[in-house]
Amino acid sequence: MVEKWRLLDTGLRDAFYNMALDEAIAIARSKKLVPNTLRFFRWETSAVSIGYFQSMEEEVDIEACNRLGIDYVRRRTGGGAVYHDRDGELTYSLIVNEDHPLISRDFQKTYETLCSGIIRGLRILGVPAEFKPINDIIVDGKKISGNAQTRSMNVVHQHGTILRDVNPTLMFTVLKVPSEKIRDKMIKSVKERVTSVKNYLKREVRFEELKNALIRGFEETFNIKLVPGEVTDFEEQTAIKLKMEKYSTREWNFKR
Amino acid sequence: MFKAEYKVEGGKLIKVQLEKKDGKIDFIKITGDFFMHPEELIEDLEKTLIGCPLDETKITKAIKDFIKRNRVSLLGVAPEDFAKCIIKAGGGDG
Repeated sequence: MVEKWRLLDTGLRDAFYNMALDEAIAIARSKKLVPNTLRFFRWETSAVSIGYFQSMEEEVDIEACNRLGIDYVRRRTGGGAVYHDRDGELTYSLIVNEDHPLISRDFQKTYETLCSGIIRGLRILGVPAEFKPINDIIVDGKKISGNAQTRSMNVVHQHGTILRDVNPTLMFTVLKVPSEKIRDKMIKSVKERVTSVKNYLKREVRFEELKNALIRGFEETFNIKLVPGEVTDFEEQTAIKLKMEKYSTREWNFKR
Repeated sequence: MFKAEYKVEGGKLIKVQLEKKDGKIDFIKITGDFFMHPEELIEDLEKTLIGCPLDETKITKAIKDFIKRNRVSLLGVAPEDFAKCIIKAGGGDG
């Protein structure tokens, strides 16, 4: 029988809730309250997330964010700073028990395995995506998806971005650049290094179409059935608490 | 405060801020876009390095020992890269 995983689509939520719910699902999974889960989500308002080890002041132009109404949050995963555009980005999380056959003790291998579902999904759409170590998915040599992973409580949590559309100008308004002089140069270089489903296919791809392709990609690659489900009360309560006590606090966001 | 950045070839970026006293690390903060598991141990790693002489071999050994003792995994960086960045930040005179 095909293994069943839960599919969540939590739509547009704020950055602090989004990060809190990811951790809440991981906690629920570790307590065996919920099955392995694929979650899709988006960001409202648009937001910047930084990796666990990054410094908020060094990576993010806080003033620009405040002026533009863009949230900023520290992730529980390592990796780099990411601008999450409300209309351009689809974000996913996978929360999987560590003893699952898809999970290797080797982090690099696990990235490649978990990303293979996304790659298959993108190929279904006609985007010839490939894995690029350490944690990227590229097409035509340009990045289309960035991913980050952590493990705790016997649970692997990987989340990442898939660019439906991309706005390099805004990206470098909110992320710090070494100097103003090279801002334009960096925007140009991002245009050469980053792409999106829309850029590649030269057509508008709606979020629903993208999600459906990714669902198929994961189902076929992992040999699973994704069953639409709901966030449980335990997860919701835990997420609200984590949002209040962790992800929305200055203490957490500015701790490094 | 001494600062340095070090980009690992084919890997991630490390940033180090440090204060030194008598050729030893007196304060250190390691930031960057690398991966280290479990994440929370970065602060313990920093504490471990306080008092360590600014010597690349000794720093590498201190980090390797810490990683072994605490079963830490690194991705996109190696202990040698942290050590290089630390020496780049604080290895000179001053």
